[in-house]
Amino acid sequence: MSLQEAARSFDDDLLPSSPPLDEETPFASMMSLFDEAAERLLIEPDAYAILRKPDREISVSVPVKLDDGMLGVFDGYRVQHNMGLGPFIGPLRLDPNLKLDELRALAGWMTWKCALLNVPFGGAAGGIRINKQRRSRGELERAVRRYVSTLLDVIGPDRDIFSPDKAADEEVMGWVMDTVSGHERYTANAVVTGKPTVLGGSRHHEDAVAHGLRVILGLALEHHGIGSIRNGARIVIQGVGSVGGSLARLLHADGHRIIALSDVHGALHDEQGLDVPALLEWRARHGSLRDAEGPFRRISNDELLTLPCDVLIPCAVANVITIRNAVQVQTKLLIEGAHGPVSARADRMLHERGVPVVPDILANAGGVVVNYFEWVQNRQGYTWLEGVVNTRLRRFMTEAWTAVAKVQAERKVRLRTAANMLAVQRVAAADKLRGIYA
Amino acid sequence: MSTGSLAAPSKQAPDELNPFHAMAQRFEIAADHLGLEPGLREVLRTPDREMTVAIPIVMDNKELRVFTGYRVQHNFSRGPCKGGIRYAPDVNLDEVRALAAWMTWKCSVVDIPFGGGKGGVICDPRELSQGELERITRRYTTGIMDILGPDRDVPAPDVNTNEQTMAWIMDTYSMHVRRTTTAIVTGKPLMIGGSRGRTEATGRGVMITCREALKKIGLRPENARVVVQGSGNVGGIAAMLMHREGYRIVSMSDMYGAVHRPEGLDVPAVLAHLRQHKRLDGYGGADHLANTEQLELDCDILIPAATENQITSKNAERIRAKLIVEGANGPTTVAADAILEQRGAVVVPDILANAGGVTVSYFEWVQDRAGFFWTEEVVNARLEQVMVSSFEEVDQMARRFGVSLRIGAYILAVGRVAKVYQLRGVYA
Repeated sequence: MSLQEAARSFDDDLLPSSPPLDEETPFASMMSLFDEAAERLLIEPDAYAILRKPDREISVSVPVKLDDGMLGVFDGYRVQHNMGLGPFIGPLRLDPNLKLDELRALAGWMTWKCALLNVPFGGAAGGIRINKQRRSRGELERAVRRYVSTLLDVIGPDRDIFSPDKAADEEVMGWVMDTVSGHERYTANAVVTGKPTVLGGSRHHEDAVAHGLRVILGLALEHHGIGSIRNGARIVIQGVGSVGGSLARLLHADGHRIIALSDVHGALHDEQGLDVPALLEWRARHGSLRDAEGPFRRISNDELLTLPCDVLIPCAVANVITIRNAVQVQTKLLIEGAHGPVSARADRMLHERGVPVVPDILANAGGVVVNYFEWVQNRQGYTWLEGVVNTRLRRFMTEAWTAVAKVQAERKVRLRTAANMLAVQRVAAADKLRGIYA
Repeated sequence: MSTGSLAAPSKQAPDELNPFHAMAQRFEIAADHLGLEPGLREVLRTPDREMTVAIPIVMDNKELRVFTGYRVQHNFSRGPCKGGIRYAPDVNLDEVRALAAWMTWKCSVVDIPFGGGKGGVICDPRELSQGELERITRRYTTGIMDILGPDRDVPAPDVNTNEQTMAWIMDTYSMHVRRTTTAIVTGKPLMIGGSRGRTEATGRGVMITCREALKKIGLRPENARVVVQGSGNVGGIAAMLMHREGYRIVSMSDMYGAVHRPEGLDVPAVLAHLRQHKRLDGYGGADHLANTEQLELDCDILIPAATENQITSKNAERIRAKLIVEGANGPTTVAADAILEQRGAVVVPDILANAGGVTVSYFEWVQDRAGFFWTEEVVNARLEQVMVSSFEEVDQMARRFGVSLRIGAYILAVGRVAKVYQLRGVYA
């Protein structure tokens, strides 16, 4: 990953919505994580074969009148992985390097994540192969609207819902909602999540992942027998964007000591605990923590990951903990705030060293849950108060955690394996109940 | 297509043991009290719509067979139709009509926004493979698809149909309309839009109405001796819940016989025995007696939760309970009603007492429409509220007209449907 890309990921308002994927065979590599779960569950190979293939893939051509009068033709895709549990949901990507197989992997990943959180959706992913930086806003809008109108037969609040992604900002989501509504002749705001509040967005949309992580932290501390520090743990957080930053603010307010925090330029360390509100304010004003002032020590991001602490929560990019540094990690508990911050081999090393890892699919699922809440509120035509969203998010995270912990105890497997097993089990059970049509 | 009158008691001598005749007689009594004019009565007696469909199926042995299915929508004034689908060799249109009407009154008593519907397929599930059952279900669903829908008609399980059947219906319907439509059917498995607390809802409703009735006759649960007939989804769960509330359950039964212990049964132990051995015969901690004797035991509360026609003109005089709560549909005949009333026994009628099931079915439909699912505590609290206020309204109606709770319930139910029919008017 180039430094530029890393910087973008650190500061982006949204997490990349995927696990880190093998570039050559993304779908196969994502699925390999779940093949093991299916084997352990003794799911019949023919039943699992259905889950190994997306239900439906649609490729569309997206012709756009460009600003210079020429006609540009872009490629668009939507992959719908499994509809057993309900309508599909998944990101809309605008990416010049969009690959179909990567979308398959994302769609499958969403299926598992929704199942794990008991959110009644199947997984999907789609997008347009277009370079957002090189296109005017008008060209982009025409491309998005044409793409959406071509897909009208397969999308809709009860068919397939678009969730936001890095490049698809609020305005893009607004175009999608408007296009569907215009065609369907009613306000179909439930076809898109991640909307601005005025269009029916949910409270806590921006910091849903952080709120979810906070619930998981409390549960994990109890579970691993270190509940005595639940009101004052020494916590290291990597990343200070919408996930890391919001999480630091929440945990600091809860009375925890945030002893280290970082952005792309480097990390700040203070054993006594950082003044998180002051640092976040600084970042809001200056755009980074580079020149922040305070009684802390400046360290590198690498050093941050190996600080002795109670809880380490990497909330930035993938693969920051690898075989190179896994032996030096000195935490009692690791929670994956980002997608795939711990590489597969490092994961095994940490397990052998007795460091419990709460997997991303469970830990950072607050975003998926609040997307679902947004859809519910749009269906009801009624907006929930902040407190209601909070209570319900807590309930969903807790139920998922409890179910995973139960599988872990019964099957004597790691949390990550338990989470994957539970997800596969639920989707396979729904498919079996519904049966094969005709 | 024939549009039969759902029951015309005036044209034939009412048969004491035909529960549909009983329902029709009670309807007429309620209509008399309400002073309904003949035209409106005729409307309420007649099903709004009936559909008969042929269901051709390739059997496992490659033979083609054609089954017959029905769906009757009795009255959709108050909302989409609601009612079960049964699979049995003796399903017939007359019975389906009567059951549909029964659902109209039941939904109306507890004031949930549904009309009554019922469906059935003539078949013997014991002779059919799972694959054949699935094909029958899917083809039947496709056949009646034009009149089904979350806002039109919402089926539910009934005799010989279950969660799995409902899952097939949901899948078939969803595939046809090309969108996930969980609200098309209730009684689904939890993971595809079912409701928490549904399995025990009917038993819970029985427990709640029993408690409300007990308050009226001034008895306390801990002093009440209870006889429960039937130990399935309704009787077994009601017995368990009431045991927890402190009632003394002195007798329980299954289809082969009853157990009796005057000091009170260890209900969890009885149910555990039943789960393990499938019948009560061998249960050690109590005396054994025949089902007919069970009903006549000395007790304060009798809960017939098994089948119809248990209390008739033959045994009503020997029933000693002060309070009878009808967990089953139609356990008491019209003739028995009169005898019990004379004796001063209070009967909480089926259309109120066992309406907990359809109430939570309604909750399932609401949750499916919202796409958001309630915790078990929320479901139970809302069920409690519906049952308590419905009991209160029935009781008030009975006092106002000086009639039994049963006739009070019919007056309430029929009156509501009639009122809505008048408000909406006759279209064209």
